[in-house]
Amino acid sequence: MNPSIKLLLLLLISLEISFTNRLFVNLILIICLFIVLIFNKLTWHQFCWLMLIPLIPGIAVLITIGGYGAGHDWLTGWSMVSRFYVYVFAGGVMTFTTSPLTLVRSLEQNCHLPSKFAYGTLAALNILPQIKRNVSTIKVAGKMRGLDLHWWSPTLYFKAILSAIRWSDQLAQAMETHGFREERPRTYATLIPLRWVDWAILIISMVVLQILLIALP
Amino acid sequence: MFRQFHLKDIILLAIIGIVFGVIYLATGLLYNGLTIILTPFGYGPMANDITLGIWCMAGPLAAFMLRLPGASFLGEFLSAIVEMLLGDQWGVTTLLSGLVQGIGTELGFTLTLYKMYNWITLLLSATTTTILTFSWDWFRNGYSHFPLSMLIVMLIVRWLSMFFFTGILVKLIINLLNRSHVLTR
Amino acid sequence: MEQIIIQDLTFAYQKGQPILNDVSLELPLHKSILLSGPIGCGKTTLLKLIARLLPKYGGDCSGKVNLPQGQRIGMLFQDPTMQFTMDTPRHELEFTLGNLQVPHKEISNQVTTALNFVNLQEVANQKLTTLSGGQLQRVALAVTIAMKADIILLDEPFSNIDEGNRQFILQKLTKLQKKNGTTIIISDHDLHNYQDFSQLVVQFHNQKAELLSPQDSQQLLKSANRTHANRITTSVPEASAQPIVELKDYSVIRNRNTLIGPTDLDFILNKVTLLTGPSGAGKSTLLKSIAKLTHYSGKITYAGRNIQKTFPGKYYSQVGLVFQETNQQFLNVTVGEELSLSTENGQNPFFKGKTPQAILSMVGLPDISNRVVYSLSGGQRKLIQNLVMLMMGHKLLLMDEPFTGLDHKSLQKLLTVIKQSRQQFPQTLLIVSHQLDYLNGFIDYHLVLNHHQLSYQGGLHDESQH
Ligand SMILES: Nc1ncnc2c1ncn2[C@@H]1O[C@H](COP(=O)(O)OP(=O)(O)OP(=O)(O)O)[C@@H](O)[C@H]1O
Ligand SMILES: Nc1ncnc2c1ncn2[C@@H]1O[C@H](COP(=O)(O)OP(=O)(O)OP(=O)(O)O)[C@@H](O)[C@H]1O
Ligand SMILES: [Mg+2]
Ligand SMILES: [Mg+2]
Repeated sequence: MNPSIKLLLLLLISLEISFTNRLFVNLILIICLFIVLIFNKLTWHQFCWLMLIPLIPGIAVLITIGGYGAGHDWLTGWSMVSRFYVYVFAGGVMTFTTSPLTLVRSLEQNCHLPSKFAYGTLAALNILPQIKRNVSTIKVAGKMRGLDLHWWSPTLYFKAILSAIRWSDQLAQAMETHGFREERPRTYATLIPLRWVDWAILIISMVVLQILLIALP
Repeated sequence: MFRQFHLKDIILLAIIGIVFGVIYLATGLLYNGLTIILTPFGYGPMANDITLGIWCMAGPLAAFMLRLPGASFLGEFLSAIVEMLLGDQWGVTTLLSGLVQGIGTELGFTLTLYKMYNWITLLLSATTTTILTFSWDWFRNGYSHFPLSMLIVMLIVRWLSMFFFTGILVKLIINLLNRSHVLTR
Repeated sequence: MEQIIIQDLTFAYQKGQPILNDVSLELPLHKSILLSGPIGCGKTTLLKLIARLLPKYGGDCSGKVNLPQGQRIGMLFQDPTMQFTMDTPRHELEFTLGNLQVPHKEISNQVTTALNFVNLQEVANQKLTTLSGGQLQRVALAVTIAMKADIILLDEPFSNIDEGNRQFILQKLTKLQKKNGTTIIISDHDLHNYQDFSQLVVQFHNQKAELLSPQDSQQLLKSANRTHANRITTSVPEASAQPIVELKDYSVIRNRNTLIGPTDLDFILNKVTLLTGPSGAGKSTLLKSIAKLTHYSGKITYAGRNIQKTFPGKYYSQVGLVFQETNQQFLNVTVGEELSLSTENGQNPFFKGKTPQAILSMVGLPDISNRVVYSLSGGQRKLIQNLVMLMMGHKLLLMDEPFTGLDHKSLQKLLTVIKQSRQQFPQTLLIVSHQLDYLNGFIDYHLVLNHHQLSYQGGLHDESQH
């Protein structure tokens, strides 16, 4: 499926269920998303991860609404929990089935996102390992000078931003030497097709969702 | 009147987004830990209000660094994209939250017509962000079903968190950056 | 003849502090030109001016840089890691060709050709973050090939890579020049081993740059090879010597290659050990392992205890690392703040009671306590970095290239300070350095990392023989 349409569909679904509160609709959505994930070779590890993430905030909301809310409305509580699972499974469908590169290529080609946004973000994402290493090094540099840097210490962010400024400068210059110009059109090595099937899936899914929302309690 | 965003600015905003993502994930236990501690008192969801300020730091920081309309929004939204791609708790709704937080932080600067970059702007921005994100959580996190007294406490806590992180902490970071002369813009 | 013409060029990053002052140069095309000069003299700056990255990315410029019509420029950067947009070599090449508006159908073929030229077919789809510095520079070269660059600029491309890759790249560049008449401009502060490659040398001094005649160029390169000789004499530790750090079955694997093979080794208490080896061999990795900053297999003990079982707070009060990358060491803004942080938290009795001014003057620096650390020159920053770490008084201080960027006078002063400090506070020092000037007599033991093996070396060591 076309990545941009997929993203749009998942966003619409997430948005819609944020404003409605139907336990059964949420459950059906979870099952559908789960089936999509299985067809895309979901591993056990990923599955456990998806199940685990919403657990703590889910339980918290359940207890708050069911145990402390006006009228002790456990049904609403459960539908909130199921909603969190929809969010996370929708996120899973996006991140496990589409690489950032494919998404960016699709946004550039199908949605005409300016290439400076597309590739600027991608360049930053691709130095993630260096960024991680840098953050942990800053903390150690502090300890070696008898200074404990916590996540609320301005110094930690200051140092990290100093590196960010230097890197953004280097990366932008490197992109330019590799022929990138902000306003110049580009050709594509990989074409991302946008077919009528993609639109059909989007429209049918949304229609079905509306029917479910009206029909089910 | 204002210059455009260049490639370099966009990369900078994205890296800042990642840095915040990394620092937050590194201390990610905090959110869940707070939730577990607060749940028996029925205040579990308040963990979100306590920590939300951290998520909204990228915006005001970006605004102070670039001093451009849209910088705050873009900083916040790009960091949300990055967080989604890093695989964070909230999946695609991170994008929606990013949008809301972005508009929230941006408003503070819009209201001062992008002319003032000081305490007042930060305070204003913290307040607009609090209002907007709280309205969003009203729907997303089911706040409408919570007891009223709790909502008031949560609103105040959220504003305090905003004030601390996007106000005080951002100002301290900006002071360090200004003193070191790395912001040549 | 066609030339790159530079006329009355003056360039400054900050107003009133020109890096290049009224420089005029005529660089012939289709030649190999070497830019040489000490650290911080403006080599990178000139290359970026030619590549039109400056003054676009900062600074003020007057004068002219004229390139012949239609010449396309490619560049390899000093830091091999920060020059790519995409995640794999193939994607990066596709990105570049897309930027140049190469038609969709031709991209795949051109990518393959470029990868073949630098022998990187096997790693074409591997993540760039898992490649070695040498491989990264080869990818960068492939990009310039794909771009069909007429002028290739290389900014100290070899400072982070091993000799094998260096030879490989130089050989490919020669081939390009013979075949297409490509102009090649390389900057390097180390001139040895260039005499077979470079035809012309541009020398920098005092904000000026001057093109030497072909004869003078050859002479300079030859003499650089001869004078590149620094020797030290050391002994091998005795079996009874008391260790402070012990490696047990220690090994490091990176990118599926063995960097350091299984090793058992002791570092001796209160002695100065020098560690040398080719670039990319894993010297920094070894220091970072001891500093708990990177993963490894086997066991490392400090004072008899496994370092993984020691609390970080306690460990880092006894073990310090002088980072290879200077800026990472600093936590404050001004020099004065940096020094007073170390005065407050430091344990070294030698520096106790001394004012910042006195400490600065020991290494020959004027009172720069109000200056912002990040605005200092590379050499000045290196001195401050060494000072603040020495003042902390760690029992074991790991120093990764602590002398880069220092001129001879400051180096001697710094060494004197270290020697005096060690008389009052005998620290264990483990120093990685590729330059051995003035180190003879200061070093107790010499450890060499070569062919994935660590071993102590006794007797005379002559760096020029490598
Ligand atoms: N972005 C910058 N802002 C301010 N000063 C700079 C900047 N970049 C470089 N400099 C200063 O300009 C001078 C020349 O720098 P340049 O990088 O051109 O030197 P270099 O000859 O390439 O040195 P090296 O051998 O260390 O790479 C140095 O003193 C450096 O501190
Ligand atoms: N975290 C890492 N992930 C992958 N590869 C790495 C990592 N750290 C280092 N390497 C690789 O390991 C090799 C050794 O790096 P290291 O920095 O230890 O070399 P070195 O001997 O200190 O070289 P130099 O003299 O250039 O500083 C390099 O090829 C580098 O690319
Ligand atoms: Mg340089
Ligand atoms: Mg090293």
